Amino acid sequence: MKFSKREKILLILFIIAYVVVGIINMKELSKTPMSEAFKNLGRRWIVNIGGFRINPMTVIMGLFIALILIVIAYKMGRNFKLIPDRKQSFFEYLMEFVYEIVEEAIPDPKLVRPTFVLAMTLFLFISLSNLIGGAVPGINVVGYEDGTIEKITLFTDTWPAPTADLNTDLTYALMVLVISHVFAIKSKGFKTWLKGWIDPSPIMLPLNIIGELAKPISHSLRLFGNIAGGAILVYILSYLVKYFFLPIVFWGFFGIFVGLIQAFVFTILAIAYISSQLS
Amino acid sequence: MGIEQITEVGQGLAMLGKFLGAGLCMGLGAIGPGMGEGNIGAHAMDAMARQPEMVGTITTRMLLADAVAETTGIYSLLIAFMILLTA
Repeated sequence: MKFSKREKILLILFIIAYVVVGIINMKELSKTPMSEAFKNLGRRWIVNIGGFRINPMTVIMGLFIALILIVIAYKMGRNFKLIPDRKQSFFEYLMEFVYEIVEEAIPDPKLVRPTFVLAMTLFLFISLSNLIGGAVPGINVVGYEDGTIEKITLFTDTWPAPTADLNTDLTYALMVLVISHVFAIKSKGFKTWLKGWIDPSPIMLPLNIIGELAKPISHSLRLFGNIAGGAILVYILSYLVKYFFLPIVFWGFFGIFVGLIQAFVFTILAIAYISSQLS
Repeated sequence: MGIEQITEVGQGLAMLGKFLGAGLCMGLGAIGPGMGEGNIGAHAMDAMARQPEMVGTITTRMLLADAVAETTGIYSLLIAFMILLTA
């Protein structure tokens, strides 16, 4: 990988800050006993706004990731070249890869493009979120359900990924379910879609309904479990080595690997669910 | 025994149940995914040995199938964490 001069300076500053904060954390935070340190592991900071219970870190990180993606897309879209440079060819390869999968899976040629847009958006957002939650050292906020914050520590954990919150994953899975049925109605017509519920015989109706309802649950819990479990393991590992330098870099490999594979699996399953409704 | 000792014994029993439950949950839940992923890996190796020109495709499909087979193990990991940390 090649860095420009500005990126190199920023990276060096980041590493220096990481080491300095790591030494401070090692001196201060490692005095707390293990049972005290892991007491708040399952808790989240929740704020009540107008009757809605909102998880602020998920909202902030989700908007942040969306902003990063918008900036990248804006920069890429500004100057397309006929002969692509490295960044452009990377993104072209990625898009072609997903587009070919979608083209093979979706029987209706009119719905290939909308499905591709959906799948690619899901893949970009989820993979970026998983990478940030799996490999980049960040901030850890310990808070309570009534909106109070106990403490904020820097560089003891990875960034809180939006996909490590079931709200995000279940939203995406339900979105895929609804969109697959809308596409089915558009492609096959309302009557054929209704007939699909009693497919072999009317006795199968309850089984078909349960099968449809089980899809978003397993779809979302798979992603949530992988990313949230990884986040908890990073936290425990970084306590065990006294919050210093090694843990996140060490776990980063697994975070990148698992995160990218789970993002890919989520995308592939979304395409498969949509195509199974269309055929 | 006084009432305090009885509550202490009860708390100890609750802790015992928590740890035993979490350990059993994770240990038993890891058997299925382990066997499944082993099967997937073995058959992928077979296929690669038979058709070395398909290695790229088979590897991606193998990783996908691994991720799907892993799901139940991940569920038990989550439940073990929930038993240990929140209940």
